[in-house]
Amino acid sequence: MDDTIASRLKMTRRSFLGTSAAAAATVALGQNAAFAAEEIKFWDMVWGTGASYTAAARELVGSYQPAGDNLGVRYQSIPWANWYQTFTSAAASRTTPAVSSGAAFLPFYFIEKGVIAPADDLIASIDKAGTNDFLPGVLDAMKTDLGYAAMPWSMDLRVIWVRKSLLEKAGVEAPTDWQSFIKVGEALKKIDVVGLGLAGGSTTTDGQHTVSALLINNGGGLFAKDGTLDCVNDRNIETLDFLNELVRKGIIDPYAASYTSDNVTRDWLSGRIGMGFGQTGLDKNFPAEQQPDLAVISPIKSPRGDTGTVYYINPLMMFKTTASQASSEAFLGWYLDNMKIFWEKGVAIDVPVRKSIADLPILKQNANLQKSIAEWQPIGKTIGAQAPHPFGALNAVDGGGAGAAFIQQIIEGKTGSKQILETLQAALEKIVK
Amino acid sequence: MTGLALPAIVLMVVVNAYPVVFAGIQAVHDGDLLGLGNFVGFANFQDALTDPLFWRSARFTVIFSLCGVFGSWMIGFALALMLKPSFPGKNLFKILLLLPWIVPIVVSSMSWNWLTATPGSLLPMLAADLGFGRVMFLADPTMAMITVCIFKIWISYPFMMMMMSAALEGIEPNVNEAARVDGANARQRLRYIVLPMTARSTYISWILMAMFSVNDFATIFLLTGGGPVNSTTSLIVLAYRSVFQDFRPGFGVAISFLMTAALVTMSVILLRQMRKANMQ
Repeated sequence: MDDTIASRLKMTRRSFLGTSAAAAATVALGQNAAFAAEEIKFWDMVWGTGASYTAAARELVGSYQPAGDNLGVRYQSIPWANWYQTFTSAAASRTTPAVSSGAAFLPFYFIEKGVIAPADDLIASIDKAGTNDFLPGVLDAMKTDLGYAAMPWSMDLRVIWVRKSLLEKAGVEAPTDWQSFIKVGEALKKIDVVGLGLAGGSTTTDGQHTVSALLINNGGGLFAKDGTLDCVNDRNIETLDFLNELVRKGIIDPYAASYTSDNVTRDWLSGRIGMGFGQTGLDKNFPAEQQPDLAVISPIKSPRGDTGTVYYINPLMMFKTTASQASSEAFLGWYLDNMKIFWEKGVAIDVPVRKSIADLPILKQNANLQKSIAEWQPIGKTIGAQAPHPFGALNAVDGGGAGAAFIQQIIEGKTGSKQILETLQAALEKIVK
Repeated sequence: MTGLALPAIVLMVVVNAYPVVFAGIQAVHDGDLLGLGNFVGFANFQDALTDPLFWRSARFTVIFSLCGVFGSWMIGFALALMLKPSFPGKNLFKILLLLPWIVPIVVSSMSWNWLTATPGSLLPMLAADLGFGRVMFLADPTMAMITVCIFKIWISYPFMMMMMSAALEGIEPNVNEAARVDGANARQRLRYIVLPMTARSTYISWILMAMFSVNDFATIFLLTGGGPVNSTTSLIVLAYRSVFQDFRPGFGVAISFLMTAALVTMSVILLRQMRKANMQ
């Protein structure tokens, strides 16, 4: 190639690349500047009923009118698939939104990393306005040594459901304690019905929630009061002995070791499961004519007389990447005051965390939800029990490989309770530092 | 001319080298997905090599890959031989046989879950009717391993069938004809003509399928998630879980590097075999 032409081509290419890069940077910076000046971003997970929830949330956020100098808000729905990568990559590249909903323990991880702003000022303003009607213990569950990690907006509470017709067919009443739970399970087994339905597969946390609920029910948990790992304790061993008895008596289905959430839902629908832990919105999976057959029972007592269950508080967190912290707080305060529409429209299936919403006429008519709020919510704890408050490493405990293997070992019924807990402790020690 | 190659070099560095170098840095640190953490030298590699779960996963990876390679090759090769002569409806039959490869893995795994997961699923009911009792295809660790391997063979044989069909087309018909005239029976023709003359394609297909199998995350994760009790956890599933569920990227990346080293070694051995086959 002729040197002059080559040189000209080289220059042209360089010029082209340089001009393109400059143009792209100008457009990007311009867009960012324009965007930053007009609105802040709100990321929202796909909660409750899915598409209908997202449509309702988008509409609600669209109706927000910022007061004074506060910025407007742009809504963006975020799928649950790969949620951890979505948030951590955004945090690493400092492209997190101003406000976001998210998984239960994500705020505790982010506050430890200095990625989100504590919600203390917002809570103080709610207190000042006299509108703090959060259910007992809910705000406390968000508290850390660094401040409130996030604002709660709803709660995934695990309660025991029964199918009344199946209990009637088996000729038994709802259980009140672990002993009667076994008796009811045995009676259900005789009519070929599962007495403790759960999904123990590796791609679901359903089984882990059930076992966590029972560990807490017996006053146990995976952590000690000082926050250190404490899987192998007497109360946990008792709980696993109880579960082992359920396995031996066929009250827990051995197939559950590989069950997905869909499998367990199908078994509930087909009448193969007669009893088990589930979310407070479990009945919403059923056709309307079958929903009255489902009932939430009162919490059952462990042999030591304890009650308890597990809950996951769905948070709303404020990221430090906001263009205006005041705008984030103003929006979040407004959102919390107006989110009752999700329950009025029936698109939220979790427990509301504010009394003003729990007292809505439409929710007052829901006997199962009222029972859950009155009897189960006050005895709930997070999977961080018995630690004083949740912490970031719980993200890995909830849904990690160690938890899945733990549940599957229980369902398999071949290993002793203490050994299963020792295996879990050893596995969790690698991820909880 | 060097200048002309510059964009390609930059692209290659950005797309390939940067992630590999960054992964290498992660492998010697103890951080999470938000930060690198502290330098720990080769501790992550040491942890991996001394972790019983790593070796259990390595064992399953070998079993899964051997089944994937040789199971699918045997079926694929047999079908390719059957499909060599012309017969009515051959093309339709071929397309039907390709379906497991064509159908998205998400759909296939859901179908297999539907077929096997619950006591009311088709295969457990069939097994019970045939007198095998309660067969837990996914809930029993040994059965889950077998089921996952069969699933792998099922989705992989069409690839092998295509590879071997192409290889068989390369054999001149007169070679076979001459052997037949010389009195060679079908088994002898397969042993002394077809297998040697398709050896190159066979080795290539083995190398490719071995790589597909070792790196096959979707087949296992979508069907069993690596359970029950880690029985179907392969190294790639373990690496994924370590990074994205246990939030130990250093450990997970170290596993990936160990896998890469094993794969490169295996590929070199198979390529040497291929060269030998060529020379013969």
